[in-house]
Amino acid sequence: MIDPLFLEGIIKVLFVFVLISAGLIISTRNLSSVLTTYTIQSFLLSAVSFLLYMIDGKGQLLLLAGLTLASKVILIPYFISRIEEKIKIGRDLHFAYLEPTPSLLLSIGLILLSYTFLSRVFEGLPLSRLFFFGAVIGLSLTLMGMLVMFSRKKVITKALGYLSMENGVLMFGLFVTELPFIIEVLIIIDLIILVMLTTILAVGMDSSIEEYRQKFRKLQIWTGVESL
Amino acid sequence: MNTSFLLFALLNPLFALLAAPLYMALIRKVKAYAQGRKGPRLFQVYYDLRKLMKKEAVYSPTSSWVMRFTPYLNLSTLLVCSLFVPLVFVPEPAGGLGNIIVFLYLLALERFFTALGGLDAGSAFGGMGSSRSMSLAAVIEPTMVVAFAALAFVLKSLNLHHMFALTAGTVLPISPTLVLVSISLFIILIVETGRLPVDNPATHLELTMINEAMILEQTGKNLALLELAHALKQFLLMGILINTILPVGLSTEIDAGKIAVSAILFLLKAGLLAIIIGLFESALAKMRLFRLPAFYVMAFFFSALTILIEVFA
Repeated sequence: MIDPLFLEGIIKVLFVFVLISAGLIISTRNLSSVLTTYTIQSFLLSAVSFLLYMIDGKGQLLLLAGLTLASKVILIPYFISRIEEKIKIGRDLHFAYLEPTPSLLLSIGLILLSYTFLSRVFEGLPLSRLFFFGAVIGLSLTLMGMLVMFSRKKVITKALGYLSMENGVLMFGLFVTELPFIIEVLIIIDLIILVMLTTILAVGMDSSIEEYRQKFRKLQIWTGVESL
Repeated sequence: MNTSFLLFALLNPLFALLAAPLYMALIRKVKAYAQGRKGPRLFQVYYDLRKLMKKEAVYSPTSSWVMRFTPYLNLSTLLVCSLFVPLVFVPEPAGGLGNIIVFLYLLALERFFTALGGLDAGSAFGGMGSSRSMSLAAVIEPTMVVAFAALAFVLKSLNLHHMFALTAGTVLPISPTLVLVSISLFIILIVETGRLPVDNPATHLELTMINEAMILEQTGKNLALLELAHALKQFLLMGILINTILPVGLSTEIDAGKIAVSAILFLLKAGLLAIIIGLFESALAKMRLFRLPAFYVMAFFFSALTILIEVFA
């Protein structure tokens, strides 16, 4: 049996890497690097879940680790990389409202905010330091994913922001609420459907939302009322 | 003042001075391999320095004492800095040596005089380089202060000697946040030594020069001193990074055997870091000048995060 304290140490190091990956998703302009970062982030979550299983011994956590590995590390990145091949653009250079530099500064504020918020919420609850820290990081990851969706223009990066937001929810669930396993499964199925839909819609994925309709019309996928 | 400190004061600057140029050469070698060339020999930098030392210094007619004084000041500042960063063994602390605030100010002094020296020759290139260097310094210095503050926060001391006494003897970093600080330190190392993506040390093109532009007018012995000071700065910053994140073998007592092992291990670790820097430089293109703050903000983000985590977790 491995010493739980040692395992907790490793989990803390993984937390740090999760935060680094969240920062990279906010600021990277290269699409394939964003995808790689997302894959690594999901892998880290899967590892955290596995380590928690080693400490706790709950079978559910092991299942969750396996499920995360299969869906978010292998399946979803595979679909998205296929989209990236089709749309033939490598970079998302345009940002709405916030450039990466202020985004990163803002995300420091978001982390601070989630800390203050959660420390009020959990006041008086017998929650260990590690679990509280995990909850703070989960919540900040969710908010930072939202920041990505907010500040990016390309739809594909918005989708990745959404996925990273879901990673935050998973993290929060791991450390605080213990979501029932069935809900985790449903969320993951939802995510896969989302990503498959984006694959189907790939023709429009390389444009901003404003250009979407025009593109559809050009490719005669959806002609709209005017053409009737 | 005790014997341990006297030995340190002799050994540490000497070690740094002798080993520093080697890593300039090693980084060049790695970059050359990455580009499919063979590159110069590892000792080429030493030969170049020796050659420059023998040459006469030529001054522009418009230059003043600043240009003659800068090389000596830079090298002596960095030699003092080398007393602040224990590389192979940590002495018993003495006086105010090792204080990171003084260390940062010494680096700022060196930067200031390099910029003045660039302006002094009266050439357009030097002025441009100084102007760029100073505007970037205005952005990187707050980041540096925050990064070193984070380091001080994690290791609970403002003194580099105390910090390394704490990390010495551990195999893994003593706190997960040190990983974050070391990323910031790495970015600072890249920026301070004028490497890609901030500045390109290998070219003399008008558009890319920052550091090279400032020393363009320096010749002969003075150039050699400046190059040596630059290598020393890089080596010391590498030393801080290595002894923070991977302090294996760092000796805390005076024992010839232990110090020898520690020195050899340090040279190996610095070699590894130099290879990483070389690969990092080969993988990146130079950034546009106005996009550089985004690169610094990464360092700022990680350092601020470190302080947050240390306070809360």
